Amino acid sequence: MSAITSPGHGSGPASPVPAGLGQLDAGRFDPKRTEGAGLADTVRSLRTALLLGWRIESNWTDPTLFVIYTVAKPVASLLLLVVMIQIIGGSASDATRTFVILGSALWATVIAGIQGPAWSVLDDRERYRMLKYVAVSPSRLLVTLVGRGGARLAAGAMGTAVALLFSVIILGLRIDLGAVQWPYLLVVLVLGIVPVIAIGVVLAAICLQTRQESWSYPDALAGAMFLVTGVVFPLAVLPDPIEVLGLLNPITWWVDGVRRAIVPSGPSSIGGQGSLWTAVTGTSAPDGLQVIAALLLTGALVTLAATAIFRSSERRARDQGLLDRTTGS
Amino acid sequence: MSAIPVDRARVDRSAVFAHSRGGTDPRTAARWTRRQVAANNMRALIGRAYPRVRGMVREPSWLFFEILLPFLTTSAFVFVYRALQAPEAYIGFVVLGGALSAFWLNVVWMMAGQLYWEKSQGNLELYFAAPMNLMAILLGMAIGGLVMSSLRAAAVLVISTLVYGVTFSVDQWLLVVVVFVLTLSALYGLGMMLASLFLLWGREAFHMTNVLIEPVYFVSGLNFPVGRLGALGALAIATLPFAVGLDAMRQLVFAGQPYITGTPSPELEALILLGMTIVFTLLARWTIHRIERIARHRGTLSIRWQ
Repeated sequence: MSAITSPGHGSGPASPVPAGLGQLDAGRFDPKRTEGAGLADTVRSLRTALLLGWRIESNWTDPTLFVIYTVAKPVASLLLLVVMIQIIGGSASDATRTFVILGSALWATVIAGIQGPAWSVLDDRERYRMLKYVAVSPSRLLVTLVGRGGARLAAGAMGTAVALLFSVIILGLRIDLGAVQWPYLLVVLVLGIVPVIAIGVVLAAICLQTRQESWSYPDALAGAMFLVTGVVFPLAVLPDPIEVLGLLNPITWWVDGVRRAIVPSGPSSIGGQGSLWTAVTGTSAPDGLQVIAALLLTGALVTLAATAIFRSSERRARDQGLLDRTTGS
Repeated sequence: MSAIPVDRARVDRSAVFAHSRGGTDPRTAARWTRRQVAANNMRALIGRAYPRVRGMVREPSWLFFEILLPFLTTSAFVFVYRALQAPEAYIGFVVLGGALSAFWLNVVWMMAGQLYWEKSQGNLELYFAAPMNLMAILLGMAIGGLVMSSLRAAAVLVISTLVYGVTFSVDQWLLVVVVFVLTLSALYGLGMMLASLFLLWGREAFHMTNVLIEPVYFVSGLNFPVGRLGALGALAIATLPFAVGLDAMRQLVFAGQPYITGTPSPELEALILLGMTIVFTLLARWTIHRIERIARHRGTLSIRWQ
């Protein structure tokens, strides 16, 4: 006798049958069992992965040490650039300093977002050896990695916030809070998070195929993107073909949008004298709506491409048995 | 007389007494001459270096991620200076810093954290159980990693020099070579020491790896003369082989540049590097043996993921 009853079976009062478990009573296969609960399952997986990711990030030490580790990297990167400016451009304007500081501080979030999914693959495959179990669980691997990446991105955002605070208190960065376009900032921040994680997913797809030494790949990719995204200097400095690469990158629009929201009167990294944008459009710099439109467009393209690349990589990894290997040299 | 009787007729001497060279039982076989010990350690060293060198061929993705992308990172700092209209000499400083950073990254990623990762993978207990000196393993890791990072450094240096037209001015070639070798020795000595310490620190090691990159770049003056940092720069020169080596190399390959000031002469920095090499290597030797004793005593070799 089944412990679970469904309407129409048994003599007692009907009790609800969980989705997918009808087969136990009906004596036949219930297709719902393979379908799961759709979006609800995805949301639950994402939430669990986020929580797991955050715990893995933070549970190895006490909160003070965690904060020190989280902010040391972005603050040091910031200081490296600030000293460069101070040595060379002693006469550099406040606008230039603000431009560089904001870009550098934001970069902590970008790096963390890119590292998250890629390091989750390496962590789970090489260290904890759980990737194969995650892969065969009802939860989608992609959703799990996005959740884990989101947790690291949150830690990176903390780094950005502390780096900005450090810049205001120690480096004398001046931000007029009354002039900040808060709604615009919120919209751009939210829109930018998706492509940042999407780029991380592309790297995760690569790490599924490569060996353990891929730990340094996210940093390498972030370093290369540092060149083309106008984070610390305007794109106009770059040769035209590289500038085109920058304009196709959603991070370029995200950084410019955030900077524009925080310092509306500041210089743009995209337009300006000698830039491709100005040569083509005839305007000095894109306006706020154009930045959002470009961010949406490039972000959507990158996200779609990332999804396709990851699916292809995951399929190959399953075929070749790559989810269950440990590597190293 | 042996405590363990051995049936000589049934034993495959080539397999069991491979190192005994005429021994008659396991105990005798375990008494190795100095030459046998050295040969065995050399085999361990080569065996540990081999997968790193061979792996470069088997995993070609590193060419893209370890050579092309770091060149682009270096380029980003070149363009920062160009945007600031800095003197051309600073472009050279960035290029040299970008090239030498390959060694620091290798020390941090593939030396310092390595024993911790070996523990996670289950290799560490095998290292401790094998009849060899653990320093051979550490040296093998260093030499294998050195091959990879040398290629990366050379590629970044050559490509950047050609693309950005960097001009070097060297007066003392011999000293350049000496300083370069001492820099690598001190760096990898530090790496060997950190490898043992990271093993003690457990999961913190991974985060420490991350923290050792940008902050060290900053205090070592990756893209600018470290003398500009004042007391902080002096502290870096006294403690970090990357800072001393980078500054000495800058002074030597950009001889006569007025922008490099406030630091000791290259000769003195070579002596500092020599001191660091000796100290770090001895500390590495002491630490790894200490860790080995602790690990054997506590039986924690196979406990992973802590």
